Amino acid sequence: MTAASPPLLRVEDLVKAFPGRRSLADALRGTPAMPVRAVDGISFELRPGEILALVGESGCGKTTTGNLLMGLERPTSGRVVLNGEEVGRLSRGDLRRIRRQAQMVFQDPYESLNPRMTVAEIVAEPLRVHGVATSDAGARVRVSAALGAAGLTPVEAYLRRYPWELSGGQRQRVVIAAALALEPALLIADEPVSMLDVSIRAEILNLLAALAHERGIGVVMITHDLSTVAAYADRIAVMYLGRIVEQGPTRQVLHDPRHPYAQALLSVVPVPDPQLRRPPVILRGETPDASRMPSGCRFHPRCPKAFDRCPVVDPALVMVDGTHAAACLLPEAGGGGAEPTPSG
Amino acid sequence: MTAMLEATAPPAVEPSRRAWRRFLGHRIGLVGAAMLGIALVIAVAAPLVAPYDPYEPVRVTILDIYQPPSAAHPLGTDDGGNDVLSSLIYGARVSLLVGFAAAAMALLIGGVVGIVAGYRGGWIGSLLMRITDFFLVIPDLALQIVLVAIIGPSLGTIIVVIGALGWTTTARLVRSQTLTVRERKYVLRAKAIGAGDVHVLRRHIVPAVLPLMLANMVLVISLAILSESTLAFLGLGDPTVISWGQMLNFAFGRGAVSAGAWWALLPPGFAIVWVVLGTTLLGTALEDALNPRPKRHHLEAPGSDVAIPVPAAHVAVARPPTTTEAGAPILSVRDLAIEFDAPGGPLRAVDGVSFDLRRGETLGLVGESGCGKTTTVLGVLRLLPPGGRVVGGQVWFDGEDLLALDGRALRSFRWTRLSLVFQGAMNALNPVRTVEDQITEAIRLHDPGASRPASSRRAGELLERVGIGKRRAREYPHTYSGGMRQRAMIALALACDPDVIVADEPTTALDVMIQAQILELLGGIARDFGMGIILVTHDLGVVAQTCDRVVVMYGGVVAEENAATRVFAEPQHPYTQQLLRSFPDLAHPDRPLRGIPGSPPRLDAMPAGCRFAPRCPHAFERCAVERPPDYPAAGGRASCFLLDPAEEGRP
Repeated sequence: MTAASPPLLRVEDLVKAFPGRRSLADALRGTPAMPVRAVDGISFELRPGEILALVGESGCGKTTTGNLLMGLERPTSGRVVLNGEEVGRLSRGDLRRIRRQAQMVFQDPYESLNPRMTVAEIVAEPLRVHGVATSDAGARVRVSAALGAAGLTPVEAYLRRYPWELSGGQRQRVVIAAALALEPALLIADEPVSMLDVSIRAEILNLLAALAHERGIGVVMITHDLSTVAAYADRIAVMYLGRIVEQGPTRQVLHDPRHPYAQALLSVVPVPDPQLRRPPVILRGETPDASRMPSGCRFHPRCPKAFDRCPVVDPALVMVDGTHAAACLLPEAGGGGAEPTPSG
Repeated sequence: MTAMLEATAPPAVEPSRRAWRRFLGHRIGLVGAAMLGIALVIAVAAPLVAPYDPYEPVRVTILDIYQPPSAAHPLGTDDGGNDVLSSLIYGARVSLLVGFAAAAMALLIGGVVGIVAGYRGGWIGSLLMRITDFFLVIPDLALQIVLVAIIGPSLGTIIVVIGALGWTTTARLVRSQTLTVRERKYVLRAKAIGAGDVHVLRRHIVPAVLPLMLANMVLVISLAILSESTLAFLGLGDPTVISWGQMLNFAFGRGAVSAGAWWALLPPGFAIVWVVLGTTLLGTALEDALNPRPKRHHLEAPGSDVAIPVPAAHVAVARPPTTTEAGAPILSVRDLAIEFDAPGGPLRAVDGVSFDLRRGETLGLVGESGCGKTTTVLGVLRLLPPGGRVVGGQVWFDGEDLLALDGRALRSFRWTRLSLVFQGAMNALNPVRTVEDQITEAIRLHDPGASRPASSRRAGELLERVGIGKRRAREYPHTYSGGMRQRAMIALALACDPDVIVADEPTTALDVMIQAQILELLGGIARDFGMGIILVTHDLGVVAQTCDRVVVMYGGVVAEENAATRVFAEPQHPYTQQLLRSFPDLAHPDRPLRGIPGSPPRLDAMPAGCRFAPRCPHAFERCAVERPPDYPAAGGRASCFLLDPAEEGRP
């Protein structure tokens, strides 16, 4: 990928495997537990000021990816490089330092604020933790700046409030303000609006977009909802069972999805226009458990376009055109199609 | 549901203050606190209130022993010729000192063990909990007796022994609370910020655990006082001090019973009961205040089975509405009004809602949370939570007024003609019974004539129909995924072949693909069975893809009603217009979204005029003072003054 500016975040072949569960019978027989690969080799880059949407259903590994980016979990293999430093290899102390650059916005603004703390205390918490702005006056300035940036103005009206005195949208702004207090370079937003009312979602999404475009903060938005990110993400990466199956600029992925999974996912997003009732491509069944990974292409058991090679060959993510990539054997997705497999 | 309760709840109060208020409302707790308080005051002020100092050596003659109560000795004298009242008062000092000191020690040990075990987990946590279990199963009293006997009965030993053996319940309690708090999102957020363990413990875990420990402490104190009394009674008390147990021990051991000196036995016994009862009452109240048990589920609302008296004003129109349109409505809601009890008087959550549903039609009830959608359908089903009631209007179902039905008729009505699909399917399925069992039960409950094999065959068919398959019928709900549970819920709703299904946010917590599957299923059912469906949702996309008609609600009233195609193509009410603009649309991905500033009105602060006026960009003077009626518009109706022919010329 040709980049105008050096990447803020580089993820290379990231893998996270969790020890699998095994039955008592297997344990007695001494059968080793099969590791479950929640994230199975994903790579992407993010430039400052760019918004990348990581889209997929539950169980696709998007939340684990977010935790790996934050250094909350250590990768099994692969690298997460933030501003030139490898997150997974850092010692505890260095990890804390790097966390100042990467902050997280959580899904549930009702649960993610401590009900015993005031807004001022919540937003100042990251400063205290990192020993930034040790003087009260200094902290107050940064807290006010963060609240202002998150759109909670006039700041004075919010400082002494408790979370339960605020609406859902205001709470999510407090979460964002706390994330902004350390002036991070990267925001990981895990389903930032899914718990909010529709009328408030736009405000929060507009705020995140403004932070990216005006302050050059890189944003990774993790979501299951393609429609909410459509107007905001610069690029979309669609995940299925631990892999990125399609990745590209938002417009191209939405208008010309190449991977059958991305096509199906797009077709079932409800559109608020009864004139546009389309026949959705409804996939049967549910995403299988990652402990029972299908052979070959992991999507083939549910794929409406699967053919004979799909259960055999595990397709790599290859470029369809300049910036748009898909992991599918179909020719229109850039794969080798039905050509005979090279003997081997 | 939560949103509705939020809207009806009294103004938000800080959790700790709320707990304090709950405690003050707990009369038993106040009695307990007073009982303990009196004992404490007496103990502290012993030298001032006691007529004699029992530690002062006195010359005793045989005549002073076991004297009955008199003016000089209000509670008589004991075996040593000492004043019982004075011993009792000074005894309070020792009993309470042992109680508080041992409890403090037990809490310290238990708190540390519990927090470490809960927060660290892993092998350290397991080891600590095994140690706790060990101490929990050995009989406390036996070990206390052995230890005190070996070490020697001094006050310090007794405190240490009681404290060192009394921490186990605290440890278990603190551990489970720590485990809960540790998983809270705000703790995860603190860690994501980069906070270390010390910070997380100090700022987040300990403040959440302390109130529980406070409640527990009171109970540990009463146990410690009891232990000390028991030890002293058994002759293992510190012989140099006077405690209540010691008094009992001396009285029993030195002939009080044979001398008939009840006054030497009853007062210390009574004092022990007084303090232990006081602390127990206080502890129970504190626990209730800090850790309130959820009240009954709202679906078991008491009184929901009684027929609702139709207000006089509506008697005149208490006749099913007739319609000339094709297909009479199966369900007609007319002027439905619902109120909730609140400290400042009843609050109106639904205010004159009317709509019709025809067979085979899917009606969408949309709006932001707190707009009264769920309350409306719960009112129609007569399933309002406690404190809520229908105060006006009628609900006609196939010619019968649902609000006039009594409990029996209503119960048979519910499920056989009208059934429900909830949002959280897991909570609505019984976790300890198989899915087939639950469906069979529903069938047999409403049709006692149905044989077991026939009902079970029907359950299998229903599960096939909803895409689960007979093969998994005999499984328990927890083995199902979220989507399958929702399918099972739909099968359950279909069990008695109802005419109408009310689905309250049936897909909200589900992934888009599963949502599409469930919506396809509901649509297919409406088509195949000619069933009416009321779909309560905030998702305009879902409405557009599945509903025939749409009712847009705002602030407890209907803002707009029309055919789905027209609501989306030509929304009439500014609220509908704004709602549509705030909803993401993949068909126009480049269109930026616009939110609706502000939030829906609180029930206790309903605007005097149009409820949407404070957030409406087109509001003018009339909107602030007058309630807009319904105006016919675009083939439907909308309640907005902009549609009044008299206001023509406005935007």
